[in-house]
Amino acid sequence: MAIIGVGKMGLVHAGILNVLPNVELVALCEKSSLIRSFSKKVFKGLEIVDDLKKLEGFKLDAVYVTTPIPSHFFVASAILENRISKNLFVEKTLAQTYEESKRLADLAQTHQSVTMVGYLRRFYVTFNKARELLQKAAIGRVEFFKAYAYSSDFLGLEKKTEMSSSRGGVLRDLGCHAIDLATWFFGDLEVNSAESKSNEQAADSVSFKVGGSQTGGEFDVSWCKKDYRMPEVGFSVTGSKGSLFVNDDQVKLESQDGKSLMWYRHDLNDNVPFWLGLPEYYREDLHFVKSVADATKAEPDFCSAMKVDKIIEDVVSGES
Amino acid sequence: MTRRTLLVGDNPFNNISHLSQERTRLREKATLLPERAADLIHLAVENGANGFMFSVSETTLSILKALKRRGALEGLSLYGIVPYAYEYVKLATQVGGISGLAKRVGGRIIGSGNLRGMAMGVVGFLNMNPLAIMKTYMTYEISRIRSAAGKEAKIDCILFHEVITDLALALKMEWLFKSYIGYMGNLGITPGFNTCNFAYLVSKFRDWEIDLSEVVIAAPFNKVGFQMAPCKEECEQALKVFSKPSVIAISIFAGGYLAPSDAIEYISALPKIKGVATGVSKERHAKETFEMLKKALK
Repeated sequence: MAIIGVGKMGLVHAGILNVLPNVELVALCEKSSLIRSFSKKVFKGLEIVDDLKKLEGFKLDAVYVTTPIPSHFFVASAILENRISKNLFVEKTLAQTYEESKRLADLAQTHQSVTMVGYLRRFYVTFNKARELLQKAAIGRVEFFKAYAYSSDFLGLEKKTEMSSSRGGVLRDLGCHAIDLATWFFGDLEVNSAESKSNEQAADSVSFKVGGSQTGGEFDVSWCKKDYRMPEVGFSVTGSKGSLFVNDDQVKLESQDGKSLMWYRHDLNDNVPFWLGLPEYYREDLHFVKSVADATKAEPDFCSAMKVDKIIEDVVSGES
Repeated sequence: MTRRTLLVGDNPFNNISHLSQERTRLREKATLLPERAADLIHLAVENGANGFMFSVSETTLSILKALKRRGALEGLSLYGIVPYAYEYVKLATQVGGISGLAKRVGGRIIGSGNLRGMAMGVVGFLNMNPLAIMKTYMTYEISRIRSAAGKEAKIDCILFHEVITDLALALKMEWLFKSYIGYMGNLGITPGFNTCNFAYLVSKFRDWEIDLSEVVIAAPFNKVGFQMAPCKEECEQALKVFSKPSVIAISIFAGGYLAPSDAIEYISALPKIKGVATGVSKERHAKETFEMLKKALK
């Protein structure tokens, strides 16, 4: 395996891959000479290269792409087209535009690749429990949902436009998690309306409404939210027989007769063989590695992730 | 008989809850004020606590200053955790990833005016020498603690934050652990490691012939196995290899999930536990928790 991009996410995946059984991390590719020079002294035994082409010949089973979002399309398509690796994991979001995502999904299909995109929250025990409850119709037929994705990452910063733009904006940086979970929970969704509050160049918060064949809902996304020390995603779901609330930490189920049940992470078997940052990283990488080894479909794959990019694009065009 | 180490943790002062973020939003905001935090630590000390474990941040440095002003640092063991990962991850988000972060932190070290740190840092950065950079950074963080708490303050231990410990473990960086232990030993401070992979760390340290009695390990130990990777049983088993107590149990209440009596009963039955660290956000907690701990962990 190899990793392209030695940033925060590249390091996390490098760590997890290094402890997963039957996985060998052999190379890192990084554009910055400063980080490359440092990496050569830290990651002893790994090849550190500056160009994708130098990964040819490694016979890689899979490559992780953890570079900034604007480069995903170029890097991922080059890996597939030059046959550097057949299988790809790309950090969220898959690409910068829906068109790029679609082209990557088509390319992956042509190469019969196992693909995956880093929508980490699918590996949270709370969201898995919520999905299980929804599938069992624990609240009856879903009528409506409200989703939020909040952080305080850019709260109070006056000069934030350059960084916030390069992270792809609040929807790509944070909102994509809620959108991905919504499509996972409720199936395909279409944007009905959208509005945003912006600083000079990038939106700080975005609200939008969606509809689907099964249900409809609304989203509220902000990275300037007070009291959200860590990014947090949550859903309130109203059903014909009760309601459900889920976020990163807990799941609450309320039936119409007033009975309620609650689960914290502690109740949901959250442990993993190796804990790095969050337990979800281990579960996510294990799922991808197993899918590659067994040549089975990983989820969320490029096709699933493409739907998130479509919604983001529709929201952005709806705002404008 | 050596007295157990009973540390006041800083999570509530940094507005952290391992149960849920919602809980922190409901928490009384006064807990975040340094003077109020110093009051709670002082009260905990009156009821059995003998130290303070904290991530090195502007918030906790202000608390140390408040404790110093009221003369409450005398005899208090200080256990610092570096780096304050949250602050650095957030900064990386704002300034453009690891390259931007490195420039910003380098600037802070230079701005601190610590000549020794600056000299080591210049050499380290010019050669991209990870050990020189690590030493520079540690010198900088220790100087921040000394500057806030005073030169007489009793810095017993400096621990690597769990993100660093666990990443270095995953990447099998034996050289980093050994260099860090050697460097801290030269400074007369016990090297420590905060980890969520206690059993794995113990196994690796034994493979690498690192003396477990020379370090402090802070790791989650609680009745429900919360954050105890890979599982509670393996972490309990790993405790048995210690020749002397050098483990600080953290998350003993599993973030508030466990009732105090249940949590303390479990901890007091474990072997080779040097002490515990737990946060308090109310006067009643500060008093009752440490009274119970002092009694149970004699």
